[in-house]
Amino acid sequence: MMDDSIAAPIAEYIAGAILKNPKRAIKPDEPLISSGLIDSFHLVDLGLFVEDKFGVRIDDSELNADTFDTLDQLVALIRSRR
Amino acid sequence: MLATETSPPAAAGRLALAQAPARNLALFAASVLALYALQPAMPIRQMDFWLPTASLALTVIVWAATSSAFATRRQPDRATLTDAAFIGGIVLGIAALRFVEPLSALITRTSPPAVLSVLAALAITALLAVAAGRIIGPRSAWTTALVIALVALLFALKYEPLTQAFAALLRVTQGQSAAQASSLDVRWLGFSYICFRLIAALRERASSRLPTVSLREFVTYAVFAPALIAGPIDRPDRFLKDLRAPFAFNWPDATEGARRIAIGAFKKFVLADWLALLALNEVNATQAQGAGWMWLLVYAYAWRIYFDFGGYTDIAIGVARIFGVRLPENFNRPYLKPNLTQFWNSWHMSLAQWFRAYYFNPLARALRTRAWATPAIIFVGQVTTMLLIGVWHGVTLNFALWGLWHGAGLFLHNRWADFAKARLTSSQERPHLQRATNAAGALLTFHFVALGWVWFALPDVALSLDVFRKLFGL
Repeated sequence: MMDDSIAAPIAEYIAGAILKNPKRAIKPDEPLISSGLIDSFHLVDLGLFVEDKFGVRIDDSELNADTFDTLDQLVALIRSRR
Repeated sequence: MLATETSPPAAAGRLALAQAPARNLALFAASVLALYALQPAMPIRQMDFWLPTASLALTVIVWAATSSAFATRRQPDRATLTDAAFIGGIVLGIAALRFVEPLSALITRTSPPAVLSVLAALAITALLAVAAGRIIGPRSAWTTALVIALVALLFALKYEPLTQAFAALLRVTQGQSAAQASSLDVRWLGFSYICFRLIAALRERASSRLPTVSLREFVTYAVFAPALIAGPIDRPDRFLKDLRAPFAFNWPDATEGARRIAIGAFKKFVLADWLALLALNEVNATQAQGAGWMWLLVYAYAWRIYFDFGGYTDIAIGVARIFGVRLPENFNRPYLKPNLTQFWNSWHMSLAQWFRAYYFNPLARALRTRAWATPAIIFVGQVTTMLLIGVWHGVTLNFALWGLWHGAGLFLHNRWADFAKARLTSSQERPHLQRATNAAGALLTFHFVALGWVWFALPDVALSLDVFRKLFGL
């Protein structure tokens, strides 16, 4: 189940700030990390964004495709920690 | 104090029917034994016994430092004592083989040292472990001191002048001439990998993410036999998940494991060993004349190192799979990737992931919160990460240059991708164009990586530059 109050701002951030293409739609099950869409530097940025926006800590060793690779998985991770 | 009373009856013989506890005991015992059995002999007496013992001792000390076993109780619990006795029992058992003349080199390459000195080493390890548990255990921030000590030890083993000094010191302890010391005297099997697993555990502990782990589980993780020689470097939490999952021997896993072992053996012992005859090395780099030959040597090296390392990894993953442990993949068709960033997402993945988790991410986070400009963070982060990955293979100028080559390549690709994604329209809607771009990218990336091996494969800069000159007919 997608939670739009979490998913929408993240999708917007990925498309706008990371991919520099605000019109780009981020599919909920689209691989973001393993596909190379988000590189290692922007992954740290995404982690910082999630921490600021949702108050959820994602540890440095969790920033990898095993912990979350898709928007769906990231939303689930955030929900599980709130 | 042997711990045979704790072993399930005939555990080894019933391996095929074993469930998780018996399997875990077998993996633990086999991994400790393999540490000694796989260690090659060295010119310094009895080092084939002492270096594996040192690996075990460091593992036990790091476990104690990351565990709350000593901090919360006055006495360690029964399971810890049993595990410690089991480890001590195996080590003493190997040492005791010196009394059984035909079997004295059954496990170690040469006859083991005197049992009394082994007992002393075990006692010192136990004392250090208790001290680490009492002093560092409750203060997870202090684990940093142990991380620094491990990095310093690894550096000493990778930096030739220090390794030579270390060899001289070891020679003196064995009553051998220090003047004969050479850096080749110290070949500590698997230590680069063991050390990185120990650091991973210490870092996870410092961020309160290390699950409670028994001594036996921790030793199995750090010196896991299939991954001893060439990795992969698993994460503690992921490895423990497999170790704690229910296990029953099953044919699908065994068949898949056997398939990976067969593929790995073919890659390593047929393809890699055959390509080794042709691959770039110090001798043929000097002899080969003409650009064509030189390119052939470089291509052969690129494929040899991939099949050699990839083959080892396949074997490790296959063996572990048979026993229900799914080690992480280390390679994912790296030479077919359309750019260098994706190459490093698919080459020696567990090492790259380790550096991301424990070096690049904390550094990028720290620089980000200090409001550095994005390109500066990316430059510093990528170049220093790759430099460290380079010198992890050995602290030499050539390995450092190989690291810098890739660091610079990653930075350039990152800047290009950043420039392109804001300006070029997505080629996703045009599959033909996408395919053509990917193919050209893969060809370019492969050649960038292959040329990088010229630094990696050769011992000095002058020879590497000479190869570059010949490659381009200069």
